Amino acid sequence: MTVADALNIVAKGLMIGGGFIGPGIGIGLIGGNYLQAVGRNPEASKFLGQALIFVAIVELFGLLAFASIFIV
Amino acid sequence: MSTFYFGSGPIIHVAPGDVMTLLGIPITNSILYGWISLILIAIVLIYVRHKAKLKPIGGLVQFIEIGVSFITDFVHSSFDDPNLGKKYSPYFVTLFFFILFNNWLGLLPIVGEGIVSNGYPLFRPFTGDLNATFGMALITMIVVYASSIKESGGFRNYIMHFFVGSPKNPLFLIIGFLEMLTDLTRVISLSLRLFLNVAIGEIVIAVFSYLGHFLAPVSALPFTLIELFIGALQAYIFTVLSSMYLAIAVNHAADHVGKQRSGHIKKGHKSLVGEN
Repeated sequence: MTVADALNIVAKGLMIGGGFIGPGIGIGLIGGNYLQAVGRNPEASKFLGQALIFVAIVELFGLLAFASIFIV
Repeated sequence: MSTFYFGSGPIIHVAPGDVMTLLGIPITNSILYGWISLILIAIVLIYVRHKAKLKPIGGLVQFIEIGVSFITDFVHSSFDDPNLGKKYSPYFVTLFFFILFNNWLGLLPIVGEGIVSNGYPLFRPFTGDLNATFGMALITMIVVYASSIKESGGFRNYIMHFFVGSPKNPLFLIIGFLEMLTDLTRVISLSLRLFLNVAIGEIVIAVFSYLGHFLAPVSALPFTLIELFIGALQAYIFTVLSSMYLAIAVNHAADHVGKQRSGHIKKGHKSLVGEN
Protein backbone atom coordinates (compact mmCIF):
# COMPACT_ATOMS: atom_id res chain seq x y z
CA MET A 1 0.00 0.00 0.00
CA THR A 2 1.48 3.30 -1.08
CA VAL A 3 1.17 6.62 0.75
CA ALA A 4 -1.45 7.79 -1.75
CA ASP A 5 -3.66 4.77 -1.03
CA ALA A 6 -3.35 5.32 2.71
CA LEU A 7 -4.21 9.01 2.31
CA ASN A 8 -7.19 8.00 0.18
CA ILE A 9 -8.56 5.78 2.94
CA VAL A 10 -7.96 8.47 5.58
CA ALA A 11 -9.74 11.02 3.38
CA LYS A 12 -12.74 8.73 2.97
CA GLY A 13 -12.92 8.18 6.72
CA LEU A 14 -12.72 11.89 7.44
CA MET A 15 -15.36 12.59 4.80
CA ILE A 16 -17.83 10.10 6.27
CA GLY A 17 -17.09 11.11 9.84
CA GLY A 18 -17.28 14.84 9.22
CA GLY A 19 -20.21 14.59 6.88
CA PHE A 20 -22.39 12.66 9.30
CA ILE A 21 -21.77 14.81 12.40
CA GLY A 22 -23.98 17.63 11.15
CA PRO A 23 -27.00 15.56 10.06
CA GLY A 24 -26.64 13.48 13.25
CA ILE A 25 -26.94 16.56 15.43
CA GLY A 26 -29.73 17.89 13.24
CA ILE A 27 -31.84 14.73 13.33
CA GLY A 28 -31.27 14.49 17.09
CA LEU A 29 -32.50 18.06 17.54
CA ILE A 30 -35.59 17.41 15.40
CA GLY A 31 -36.46 14.20 17.24
CA GLY A 32 -35.76 15.66 20.66
CA ASN A 33 -37.82 18.77 20.04
CA TYR A 34 -40.65 16.68 18.62
CA LEU A 35 -40.72 14.51 21.75
CA GLN A 36 -40.54 17.61 23.94
CA ALA A 37 -43.52 19.09 22.12
CA VAL A 38 -45.47 15.82 22.49
CA GLY A 39 -44.61 15.66 26.19
CA ARG A 40 -45.85 19.17 26.70
CA ASN A 41 -48.93 18.82 24.55
CA PRO A 42 -49.89 15.24 23.57
CA GLU A 43 -52.09 16.51 20.74
CA ALA A 44 -48.93 17.57 18.90
CA SER A 45 -48.19 13.91 18.11
CA LYS A 46 -50.09 14.31 14.83
CA PHE A 47 -47.16 16.31 13.42
CA LEU A 48 -44.91 13.24 13.14
CA GLY A 49 -45.18 13.33 9.34
CA GLN A 50 -43.94 16.92 9.22
CA ALA A 51 -41.07 16.07 11.55
CA LEU A 52 -40.10 13.24 9.19
CA ILE A 53 -40.06 15.67 6.24
CA PHE A 54 -37.46 17.76 8.06
CA VAL A 55 -35.52 14.61 8.89
CA ALA A 56 -35.37 13.88 5.15
CA ILE A 57 -34.24 17.42 4.34
CA VAL A 58 -31.43 17.20 6.91
CA GLU A 59 -30.49 13.65 5.90
CA LEU A 60 -29.72 14.73 2.33
CA PHE A 61 -26.44 16.36 3.40
CA GLY A 62 -25.24 13.21 5.12
CA LEU A 63 -26.09 11.18 2.05
CA LEU A 64 -24.20 13.66 -0.14
CA ALA A 65 -21.12 13.10 2.01
CA PHE A 66 -21.58 9.33 1.72
CA ALA A 67 -21.96 9.51 -2.05
CA SER A 68 -18.84 11.64 -2.47
CA ILE A 69 -16.56 8.87 -1.19
CA PHE A 70 -17.11 7.07 -4.49
CA ILE A 71 -15.59 9.89 -6.53
CA VAL A 72 -12.52 10.43 -4.32
CA MET B 1 -13.91 0.08 -2.98
CA SER B 2 -11.10 -0.78 -0.63
CA THR B 3 -10.69 -4.24 0.83
CA PHE B 4 -12.40 -5.02 4.11
CA TYR B 5 -10.45 -7.88 5.61
CA PHE B 6 -9.51 -10.19 2.80
CA GLY B 7 -10.90 -10.97 -0.62
CA SER B 8 -11.90 -8.37 -3.15
CA GLY B 9 -14.80 -6.74 -1.33
CA PRO B 10 -18.40 -6.44 -2.45
CA ILE B 11 -19.12 -5.45 -6.05
CA ILE B 12 -20.77 -2.05 -6.07
CA HIS B 13 -22.17 -0.02 -8.94
CA VAL B 14 -23.30 3.54 -8.36
CA ALA B 15 -24.08 4.30 -11.99
CA PRO B 16 -26.30 2.19 -14.28
CA GLY B 17 -24.66 0.21 -17.06
CA ASP B 18 -25.64 -0.83 -20.58
CA VAL B 19 -26.92 -4.39 -20.63
CA MET B 20 -28.29 -4.61 -24.18
CA THR B 21 -28.86 -2.61 -27.34
CA LEU B 22 -32.20 -2.15 -29.05
CA LEU B 23 -32.06 -0.84 -32.64
CA GLY B 24 -28.63 0.61 -31.96
CA ILE B 25 -29.74 2.42 -28.81
CA PRO B 26 -28.04 1.18 -25.61
CA ILE B 27 -30.53 0.14 -22.90
CA THR B 28 -29.38 0.52 -19.30
CA ASN B 29 -30.34 -1.93 -16.60
CA SER B 30 -32.34 0.66 -14.65
CA ILE B 31 -34.57 1.59 -17.59
CA LEU B 32 -35.10 -2.11 -18.35
CA TYR B 33 -36.31 -2.74 -14.82
CA GLY B 34 -38.23 0.55 -14.95
CA TRP B 35 -40.26 -0.76 -17.90
CA ILE B 36 -40.92 -4.07 -16.17
CA SER B 37 -42.05 -2.39 -12.95
CA LEU B 38 -44.11 0.14 -14.91
CA ILE B 39 -46.07 -2.70 -16.54
CA LEU B 40 -46.48 -4.45 -13.16
CA ILE B 41 -47.66 -1.25 -11.46
CA ALA B 42 -50.14 -0.51 -14.25
CA ILE B 43 -51.56 -4.06 -14.10
CA VAL B 44 -51.90 -3.99 -10.30
CA LEU B 45 -53.49 -0.55 -10.14
CA ILE B 46 -55.94 -1.24 -13.00
CA TYR B 47 -56.90 -4.52 -11.27
CA VAL B 48 -57.45 -2.66 -8.00
CA ARG B 49 -59.47 0.04 -9.75
CA HIS B 50 -61.86 -2.62 -11.13
CA LYS B 51 -62.00 -4.50 -7.86
CA ALA B 52 -62.66 -1.51 -5.59
CA LYS B 53 -66.21 -1.21 -4.29
CA LEU B 54 -68.04 1.14 -1.95
CA LYS B 55 -68.16 -1.57 0.67
CA PRO B 56 -64.54 -2.09 1.78
CA ILE B 57 -62.79 -5.37 1.01
CA GLY B 58 -59.49 -6.27 2.65
CA GLY B 59 -56.08 -7.07 1.27
CA LEU B 60 -54.32 -5.18 -1.49
CA VAL B 61 -57.36 -3.09 -2.42
CA GLN B 62 -57.65 -1.70 1.08
CA PHE B 63 -53.93 -0.94 1.19
CA ILE B 64 -54.14 1.05 -2.06
CA GLU B 65 -57.26 2.83 -0.82
CA ILE B 66 -55.51 3.88 2.39
CA GLY B 67 -52.60 5.29 0.38
CA VAL B 68 -54.88 7.16 -2.01
CA SER B 69 -56.95 8.73 0.77
CA PHE B 70 -53.81 9.59 2.75
CA ILE B 71 -52.20 11.54 -0.10
CA THR B 72 -55.52 13.05 -1.23
CA ASP B 73 -56.25 14.32 2.29
CA PHE B 74 -52.81 15.85 2.55
CA VAL B 75 -53.04 17.61 -0.81
CA HIS B 76 -56.55 18.87 0.02
CA SER B 77 -55.43 20.26 3.36
CA SER B 78 -52.41 22.05 1.91
CA PHE B 79 -54.46 24.15 -0.53
CA ASP B 80 -56.64 27.02 0.70
CA ASP B 81 -59.14 26.42 -2.09
CA PRO B 82 -60.70 22.90 -1.96
CA ASN B 83 -61.38 22.93 -5.74
CA LEU B 84 -57.65 23.22 -6.44
CA GLY B 85 -56.93 20.27 -4.17
CA LYS B 86 -59.42 18.19 -6.11
CA LYS B 87 -57.84 19.31 -9.38
CA TYR B 88 -54.22 18.50 -8.53
CA SER B 89 -54.42 15.48 -6.20
CA PRO B 90 -54.51 12.81 -9.01
CA TYR B 91 -51.02 13.78 -10.17
CA PHE B 92 -49.57 13.48 -6.67
CA VAL B 93 -51.29 10.16 -5.98
CA THR B 94 -49.81 8.80 -9.22
CA LEU B 95 -46.37 10.08 -8.25
CA PHE B 96 -46.64 8.51 -4.79
CA PHE B 97 -47.57 5.04 -6.02
CA PHE B 98 -45.05 5.09 -8.86
CA ILE B 99 -42.16 5.89 -6.50
CA LEU B 100 -43.42 3.60 -3.73
CA PHE B 101 -43.73 0.51 -5.93
CA ASN B 102 -40.47 1.25 -7.74
CA ASN B 103 -38.67 1.46 -4.41
CA TRP B 104 -40.21 -1.75 -3.13
CA LEU B 105 -39.74 -3.71 -6.37
CA GLY B 106 -36.09 -2.66 -6.25
CA LEU B 107 -35.65 -4.70 -3.06
CA LEU B 108 -36.49 -8.05 -4.68
CA PRO B 109 -33.66 -10.61 -4.68
CA ILE B 110 -33.54 -10.73 -8.49
CA VAL B 111 -32.53 -7.06 -8.54
CA GLY B 112 -28.86 -6.32 -8.00
CA GLU B 113 -25.65 -8.25 -8.42
CA GLY B 114 -27.23 -11.71 -8.48
CA ILE B 115 -27.95 -11.91 -12.21
CA VAL B 116 -25.11 -10.41 -14.23
CA SER B 117 -25.22 -9.60 -17.92
CA ASN B 118 -22.50 -7.85 -19.92
CA GLY B 119 -20.51 -7.14 -16.74
CA TYR B 120 -23.38 -5.26 -15.10
CA PRO B 121 -26.32 -6.49 -13.02
CA LEU B 122 -29.25 -7.23 -15.31
CA PHE B 123 -31.76 -5.33 -13.16
CA ARG B 124 -31.31 -2.17 -11.14
CA PRO B 125 -34.01 -0.30 -9.19
CA PHE B 126 -35.45 2.43 -11.39
CA THR B 127 -35.25 5.02 -8.61
CA GLY B 128 -31.61 4.07 -7.99
CA ASP B 129 -30.61 5.92 -11.15
CA LEU B 130 -29.99 9.67 -11.12
CA ASN B 131 -31.37 10.05 -14.67
CA ALA B 132 -34.71 8.57 -13.62
CA THR B 133 -35.15 10.62 -10.47
CA PHE B 134 -33.93 13.76 -12.24
CA GLY B 135 -36.54 13.18 -14.93
CA MET B 136 -39.28 12.74 -12.35
CA ALA B 137 -38.23 15.86 -10.45
CA LEU B 138 -38.00 17.87 -13.67
CA ILE B 139 -41.49 16.83 -14.79
CA THR B 140 -42.86 17.56 -11.32
CA MET B 141 -41.31 21.01 -11.19
CA ILE B 142 -42.52 21.80 -14.74
CA VAL B 143 -46.03 20.85 -13.61
CA VAL B 144 -45.60 23.02 -10.52
CA TYR B 145 -44.33 26.05 -12.46
CA ALA B 146 -46.94 25.72 -15.22
CA SER B 147 -49.85 25.39 -12.81
CA SER B 148 -48.67 28.16 -10.53
CA ILE B 149 -48.31 30.50 -13.52
CA LYS B 150 -51.82 29.47 -14.60
CA GLU B 151 -53.37 29.86 -11.15
CA SER B 152 -51.74 33.21 -10.40
CA GLY B 153 -53.11 34.60 -13.64
CA GLY B 154 -50.26 35.26 -16.06
CA PHE B 155 -46.48 35.14 -16.09
CA ARG B 156 -46.12 38.70 -14.76
CA ASN B 157 -48.12 38.02 -11.61
CA TYR B 158 -46.13 34.87 -10.99
CA ILE B 159 -42.80 36.70 -11.28
CA MET B 160 -44.08 39.55 -9.09
CA HIS B 161 -44.81 37.19 -6.19
CA PHE B 162 -41.08 36.62 -5.71
CA PHE B 163 -40.58 40.33 -4.97
CA VAL B 164 -42.73 40.86 -1.88
CA GLY B 165 -44.97 43.42 -3.63
CA SER B 166 -42.66 45.91 -5.38
CA PRO B 167 -39.39 45.10 -7.19
CA LYS B 168 -38.40 48.80 -6.91
CA ASN B 169 -37.26 48.36 -3.32
CA PRO B 170 -33.61 47.19 -3.61
CA LEU B 171 -33.92 44.83 -0.64
CA PHE B 172 -36.96 43.08 -2.09
CA LEU B 173 -35.17 42.90 -5.46
CA ILE B 174 -32.24 40.98 -3.95
CA ILE B 175 -34.58 38.76 -1.91
CA GLY B 176 -36.60 38.03 -5.05
CA PHE B 177 -33.57 36.91 -7.06
CA LEU B 178 -32.40 34.74 -4.16
CA GLU B 179 -35.90 33.19 -3.99
CA MET B 180 -35.71 32.39 -7.73
CA LEU B 181 -32.32 30.73 -7.26
CA THR B 182 -33.71 28.65 -4.38
CA ASP B 183 -36.58 27.62 -6.63
CA LEU B 184 -34.18 26.29 -9.25
CA THR B 185 -32.29 24.13 -6.73
CA ARG B 186 -35.51 22.25 -5.91
CA VAL B 187 -35.15 20.01 -8.96
CA ILE B 188 -31.66 18.99 -7.88
CA SER B 189 -32.52 18.47 -4.21
CA LEU B 190 -35.67 16.43 -4.97
CA SER B 191 -33.87 14.15 -7.42
CA LEU B 192 -30.69 13.75 -5.36
CA ARG B 193 -32.60 12.89 -2.19
CA LEU B 194 -34.55 10.04 -3.78
CA PHE B 195 -31.59 8.72 -5.81
CA LEU B 196 -29.12 8.76 -2.91
CA ASN B 197 -31.51 7.07 -0.51
CA VAL B 198 -32.24 4.20 -2.88
CA ALA B 199 -28.69 3.81 -4.24
CA ILE B 200 -27.10 3.92 -0.79
CA GLY B 201 -29.66 1.43 0.46
CA GLU B 202 -28.55 -0.93 -2.32
CA ILE B 203 -24.90 -0.40 -1.35
CA VAL B 204 -25.59 -1.03 2.34
CA ILE B 205 -27.45 -4.25 1.54
CA ALA B 206 -24.60 -5.37 -0.77
CA VAL B 207 -21.96 -4.63 1.89
CA PHE B 208 -23.80 -6.48 4.65
CA SER B 209 -24.63 -9.48 2.52
CA TYR B 210 -20.91 -9.64 1.63
CA LEU B 211 -19.91 -9.44 5.31
CA GLY B 212 -22.38 -12.17 6.21
CA HIS B 213 -20.72 -14.60 3.79
CA PHE B 214 -22.83 -17.79 3.83
CA LEU B 215 -25.22 -16.18 6.35
CA ALA B 216 -25.95 -13.38 3.86
CA PRO B 217 -29.78 -13.61 4.08
CA VAL B 218 -29.60 -13.20 7.86
CA SER B 219 -27.14 -10.32 7.94
CA ALA B 220 -28.85 -8.40 5.13
CA LEU B 221 -32.40 -8.87 6.47
CA PRO B 222 -32.46 -5.96 9.00
CA PHE B 223 -31.17 -3.53 6.40
CA THR B 224 -33.70 -4.75 3.85
CA LEU B 225 -36.46 -4.08 6.40
CA ILE B 226 -35.06 -0.59 7.04
CA GLU B 227 -35.04 -0.05 3.28
CA LEU B 228 -38.73 -1.04 3.12
CA PHE B 229 -39.47 1.75 5.60
CA ILE B 230 -37.15 4.25 3.89
CA GLY B 231 -38.67 3.49 0.48
CA ALA B 232 -42.15 4.34 1.75
CA LEU B 233 -40.85 7.41 3.58
CA GLN B 234 -39.05 8.73 0.51
CA ALA B 235 -42.11 8.27 -1.69
CA TYR B 236 -44.15 10.19 0.89
CA ILE B 237 -41.53 12.94 1.17
CA PHE B 238 -41.15 13.40 -2.61
CA THR B 239 -44.93 13.71 -2.97
CA VAL B 240 -45.42 15.97 0.02
CA LEU B 241 -42.56 18.31 -0.84
CA SER B 242 -43.71 18.72 -4.45
CA SER B 243 -47.30 19.32 -3.38
CA MET B 244 -46.08 21.88 -0.86
CA TYR B 245 -44.06 23.69 -3.53
CA LEU B 246 -47.21 23.93 -5.63
CA ALA B 247 -49.41 24.93 -2.67
CA ILE B 248 -47.02 27.68 -1.55
CA ALA B 249 -46.97 29.31 -5.00
CA VAL B 250 -50.72 28.95 -5.58
CA ASN B 251 -51.86 30.04 -2.11
CA HIS B 252 -49.56 33.03 -2.25
CA ALA B 253 -51.05 34.06 -5.58
CA ALA B 254 -54.55 33.84 -4.09
CA ASP B 255 -53.45 36.21 -1.33
CA HIS B 256 -52.63 38.91 -3.83
CA VAL B 257 -55.85 38.56 -5.78
CA GLY B 258 -58.41 38.49 -2.99
CA LYS B 259 -58.28 39.21 0.70
CA GLN B 260 -59.69 35.97 2.07
CA ARG B 261 -56.71 35.62 4.36
CA SER B 262 -57.73 38.44 6.74
CA GLY B 263 -61.23 36.96 6.92
CA HIS B 264 -59.77 33.61 8.02
CA ILE B 265 -57.69 35.18 10.76
CA LYS B 266 -60.63 37.19 12.05
CA LYS B 267 -62.87 34.12 12.19
CA GLY B 268 -60.21 32.11 14.00
CA HIS B 269 -59.67 34.90 16.48
CA LYS B 270 -63.37 35.15 17.23
CA SER B 271 -63.72 31.45 17.93
CA LEU B 272 -60.67 31.58 20.19
CA VAL B 273 -62.23 34.39 22.19
CA GLY B 274 -65.50 32.48 22.41
CA GLU B 275 -63.78 29.40 23.84
CA ASN B 276 -62.09 31.43 26.53
